[in-house]
Amino acid sequence: MQRIGEVIETSTTRFTAGAYALHAASPFGGLVRAQSLDAEMAVYGLVYEIRTGSKEPRWARRRFAGGTYTGRELYDAEIYHEHPDLAEVLQTEFSALTVGFSAERRVYHYLPPQPPPVHYSVYPCDAAELTAFSQSSDFFRSVLFAAQIPSDELLAAVIRTIARARPDPRAYLVDAGREVAGLLKDDYDRLNALLRRIRP
Amino acid sequence: MSLDFTALGKQVRQMSGSAAGSRLDTASRTQQVAARYRSAAAETERWAQAVNLSRETASWLFALPVEPLDTVRPLPTCPASYALVATDGSQIDLDRHGTVACALVNVGRVFLRYGHKPLARLNSQPYLYYTEEDLYLTDGLRRVAIEGNYLAARRDVEEGVALADLADEMLDGSLPALALQDGTLVRWALANAERFVQDYFLQRYLSYLERMRKSGVPVASYISRPRAPEVAGTMRLMFCPDVDVAAGKGARCSECSDIRAHREPSCKICEGLIDADIFAERLTEGQRGPLFASMSRINVECYGEHLIHFFLIRVGRELARVEVPRWVATDAEQLDRVHTLVYDQCVRGDGYPVALARAHEQAIVRSPERRAFQHMVEGSLYRAEVAASASMKRESKEFTRG
Repeated sequence: MQRIGEVIETSTTRFTAGAYALHAASPFGGLVRAQSLDAEMAVYGLVYEIRTGSKEPRWARRRFAGGTYTGRELYDAEIYHEHPDLAEVLQTEFSALTVGFSAERRVYHYLPPQPPPVHYSVYPCDAAELTAFSQSSDFFRSVLFAAQIPSDELLAAVIRTIARARPDPRAYLVDAGREVAGLLKDDYDRLNALLRRIRP
Repeated sequence: MSLDFTALGKQVRQMSGSAAGSRLDTASRTQQVAARYRSAAAETERWAQAVNLSRETASWLFALPVEPLDTVRPLPTCPASYALVATDGSQIDLDRHGTVACALVNVGRVFLRYGHKPLARLNSQPYLYYTEEDLYLTDGLRRVAIEGNYLAARRDVEEGVALADLADEMLDGSLPALALQDGTLVRWALANAERFVQDYFLQRYLSYLERMRKSGVPVASYISRPRAPEVAGTMRLMFCPDVDVAAGKGARCSECSDIRAHREPSCKICEGLIDADIFAERLTEGQRGPLFASMSRINVECYGEHLIHFFLIRVGRELARVEVPRWVATDAEQLDRVHTLVYDQCVRGDGYPVALARAHEQAIVRSPERRAFQHMVEGSLYRAEVAASASMKRESKEFTRG
């Protein structure tokens, strides 16, 4: 698949990428792969936040008060059409929680020895890669217990995405539900809320 | 903190009081001068002659009317699709207290295309000057450092060349196009420069204008809130008791008859007035006033076929000044295009051309970047094993600044 952005901030547990095109981030809960220093190694992350803002903290922030902009009213996509410079001064970024890596054609569901370097490419994963990655549910735990991210929402979104990529979505949802139940056996309310989000 | 706000506050209040007073005075004089302008509408030719007669002998700036004084041109229709290029620059001046003698010019480059297939390309191009030839101009034994005003002149040249390059690269002639710059096209800063310095920069600047003329893309520059008193200078002639066009007599300030008769000079009514004041009530949204040629010495003597003309245009609550070279001014189609595209840019940019705002954003070097540049230079010198150290004065200042 085509690269969609490059790493702009990186650490062992998560990395942030700048998307090459405005509003063209991988979706929330999507699996992305970042190239590593070692050409044989790639780091997998789950997108937990997408944000779009001005590249220039002070200068490019403009008032778009109301719809009356050029005398006639402009809304939504029309604004971007009439102001092509916006696509250049706004930037979409997305952050991913590192959940594993691949090395020598094997997938590992734990943290890689090195995070992906800044400026290295980030690719979205297709259905086949997503299915291969989700053969094991070991990463559920890393997602559920990650701090300062909407972890339950993220896990639910990931499970739904994986289910859609498989030939039998229902079977996967049921299996995943069981796995989550094991992890959240001490917290009935949280489990209940999560299961509702992945109900077949 | 060493600014005494108690003492300052008092002075600021006094300043506001006196500003309010002088505004009333200016308003009443503006009305009289604007009325005189209206009454002179039919005599454009006469006042153009008066300007030519007085150019050498009067002590103020002039604008030569090229169109009838009462011209009010409504906004021409804006093309559905158009493209434009713009550049703007910033500079870091030669730093005498820094580690090594160098100067930096950063040029912001903007390409925008509107309409059918909208597209934007923004980037910036830095130029580092550090060699002897970069930093000094020499003429025989004389050696002039390129800093301050002269570095600004070099920046103007770089902006121009970048604009011409951008036009070659991005404008394919399929759409109506415009090349836009910020500020004036008249290189005032060189007016008092030594001859060889003036020649050096002007030659390069004019060859950029020549490139643009050949490419057929009109060049214009935009001045927001212009302070120029050139039309006001021409207005002075209308109050001058000594001007007699029929007799071939222009204004001679050294022999002013009012001063000889111990009166206040009649033209004093125009003092402090600017061109925008005179046109403020004549132009409504999007309209432009008549075309004038700027009669500043450097323009008349050096610009030749690129002689800079200008008009004022109403954009919201301000009048902006748009300058064009003669070859645009004499081409009605190109002039209309400049008029409408500049206005469209202002509308899209909330009162200031989008392309110029973007070019400025690209060009500006902020203080963290400035520091990063400094560190880059120091690090690189260190690795090159050149002793690198700032002056004691700089180090002391950085300590106080924290």
